[in-house]
Amino acid sequence: MSRVFLGMSGGVDSSVSAVLLKEQGYDVTGVYMKNWSKDLPGMKCPWSEDLADAKRVAVQLDLDFEVWDFESEYKQKVVDYMLAEFQRGRTPNPDVICNELIKFKQFYDRAMQRGADYIATGHYARVSSGSELNLPDNNIYLCRAVDENKDQTYFLYRMSDMATAKTLFPVGNMTKPEVKDLAAEKGLDVARKKESMGVCFVGEVGMKDFLREYLDARPGEIREAETEKVLGYHDGVIFYTIGQRHGLALGGGLPYYVVGKDLAQNLVYVSKNLNHEDLWKKQLKLEDMCWRAGSESLLKQGELTVRLRHRAPLLKAQLENDTLVFDEEIKKPAAGQSAVLYSGGVCLGGGIIAE
Amino acid sequence: MIYLDHAAATPVSQKALQVMTPYFAEEFFNPSAPYLPAKRVREVYELAKDDLAHVIGAKGVDLVITAGATESINLAFTVCQGKVLVLETEHAAVLEVAKQCSYELVKVDKNGLILIDDLRDKLSDEVELVSISLANNELGTIQPLVEIAEVIRRVRQERLRNNNNTPLYLHSDASQALNLLDLNVARLGVDLLTINAAKCGGPKGVGALYVAHGVKLRPISVGGGQERGLRSGTENVAGVVGFATAAQEAKAHLAGSRKKYQVMSRILRQELEKIGKDMNSTTDFVMPTPIFLGHPKHQLASFVPVCFPGVDAERLIYRLEQHGVLVSTGAACAANKGNKSHVLAAIGLSDVEIAGSLRISLGSANTIENVTEAASIIREEVEREYCRIHERGHHV
Repeated sequence: MSRVFLGMSGGVDSSVSAVLLKEQGYDVTGVYMKNWSKDLPGMKCPWSEDLADAKRVAVQLDLDFEVWDFESEYKQKVVDYMLAEFQRGRTPNPDVICNELIKFKQFYDRAMQRGADYIATGHYARVSSGSELNLPDNNIYLCRAVDENKDQTYFLYRMSDMATAKTLFPVGNMTKPEVKDLAAEKGLDVARKKESMGVCFVGEVGMKDFLREYLDARPGEIREAETEKVLGYHDGVIFYTIGQRHGLALGGGLPYYVVGKDLAQNLVYVSKNLNHEDLWKKQLKLEDMCWRAGSESLLKQGELTVRLRHRAPLLKAQLENDTLVFDEEIKKPAAGQSAVLYSGGVCLGGGIIAE
Repeated sequence: MIYLDHAAATPVSQKALQVMTPYFAEEFFNPSAPYLPAKRVREVYELAKDDLAHVIGAKGVDLVITAGATESINLAFTVCQGKVLVLETEHAAVLEVAKQCSYELVKVDKNGLILIDDLRDKLSDEVELVSISLANNELGTIQPLVEIAEVIRRVRQERLRNNNNTPLYLHSDASQALNLLDLNVARLGVDLLTINAAKCGGPKGVGALYVAHGVKLRPISVGGGQERGLRSGTENVAGVVGFATAAQEAKAHLAGSRKKYQVMSRILRQELEKIGKDMNSTTDFVMPTPIFLGHPKHQLASFVPVCFPGVDAERLIYRLEQHGVLVSTGAACAANKGNKSHVLAAIGLSDVEIAGSLRISLGSANTIENVTEAASIIREEVEREYCRIHERGHHV
């Protein structure tokens, strides 16, 4: 009997993954990964309830269940990275880093040490071998989920090839409605659970309040990009993202968009012109590239498509060195976010968007 | 469903529910309003406070109504600016308030009973408040409050003799005790007593603080000056009417309840004691016998805290929940935070024993029949867990 360690978050996807793995005859141990959380007054990460939900499902299915503590690793590798990026004026994606360095690294390593044949998570993604994809190689490929609307490969593109070869994504072949129906059918209480959004450790309070606790943010001027005219005031440059139009408190009339940030001068630049040149780009420079096994040959053969945000449409592009060149101008994504590259349904890898 | 967690919350009694109902939509008036219908509501409110106070041998004017026991405790602690002594097994509501003052913990023995000598030793000249719960919320252990009050009385005398003016007050959190013990503030010798509606068949969000004459408190919330200026805010008429009714009911049935719970408790204990006895002939391993926690004599009759060494009690809770049997580990709030029980640690349990401990608490939702049924379900599930652990032990 193959032994699987399944990351259980207390959500419906990993719960249904447990059901499926058990039905498929695996020897499953459910694991709740305890990541870092900060208890500030009025700012509670709901992890204890999530843990209870995960454990309840495991017990219901008669699975072994353990809590693995990754608090210090998570704080060091994910939270500190995220804070440093924001301090630089960028908009990082902590989930991408958490998958790369915690779930598919720390969790994977520990499971393997414990004698696992596989690890599993409730992500919407698929793993296929070269032969399954009719490719002339033995590579293991990370592929988009059946449910295009829920596909989570955007967050997974940095997981190692080694971990990918040993990972099961039981719900990758299902749609979200099917997953919810199955949970209800099996009498799992989590079927009724509201979908969690945003970064887990920030909880419901939101990123801004969280950042305020940790980073220096000084008030400063909001200026019109074209005229340098002072239109209002902001409470910290790092809280603003290029393209943002809400939360500027500049009064009525046509909306203003954030088109620039000057960290040194502590200024936010806005414009009413939606076609402002700083909002649109034909090229994007990437850094920290991560290439998945077999991507080189796929890149030569097929058409390259790119995803710039989770659930955003796939865009056609060419890659010249580390620069993506699009067929037409795209709305500029925030620096620090990821660009994830695909050939057909296969995830080739990706990089972090530079300035 | 068989509910065995009355220490966490009690169902509101039918009678309490009934008397409360008119004060939501019909007699909804603000008791401070000037017209006659409002004046009637004021009368009802004051009468209910009197009724409630009589249950603990006090008068209505001695009570400050609060939104539950936690607020009552917070208010009680405003009596002192100096050092406080609290029992190490107190509820978080007491411990967390104490942490805002200069404080020291008084130790308990392995049954959760206060070590009176430790209290005596720690009662230094700067101590102004001693807070000892009447009955512990995890173990049900009943503290000898009369004896404690006597110790305090002597220290007060001693201080006066030494020309020391530092006051010394005794507060007790009696949240768990109201429906099982005959409370009388004069007999207990307390200056401040916290009671709670939600643990005796009343509604949640209503509590009270008994304040003896001459004890000066500072209000936590100010405003319209209700409750003699100690707790501003429009009176919770329905809540207090419900609380008074529930408390009177509890008092009227004290002896009967105690007997009833003693019988049920025996049923549970006898059934659980079979663990590791019946099956040992058929299994090739020995199951540990359960350890019953708390004081064998000085314990609320409704409490059956029990440890199954080696079992994961949280697992057990979810298994039992599937059979409709609802129990918990320790204090509901502490269990939710994923912290281990400081109470069980204080009585000397190891981490494994703490992880294997359940708190069963009986109450109005229980009958001989449903307790008997629950007892055998719990026994079977504990045995099942021991077998599972044993098998996994071989397997891994």
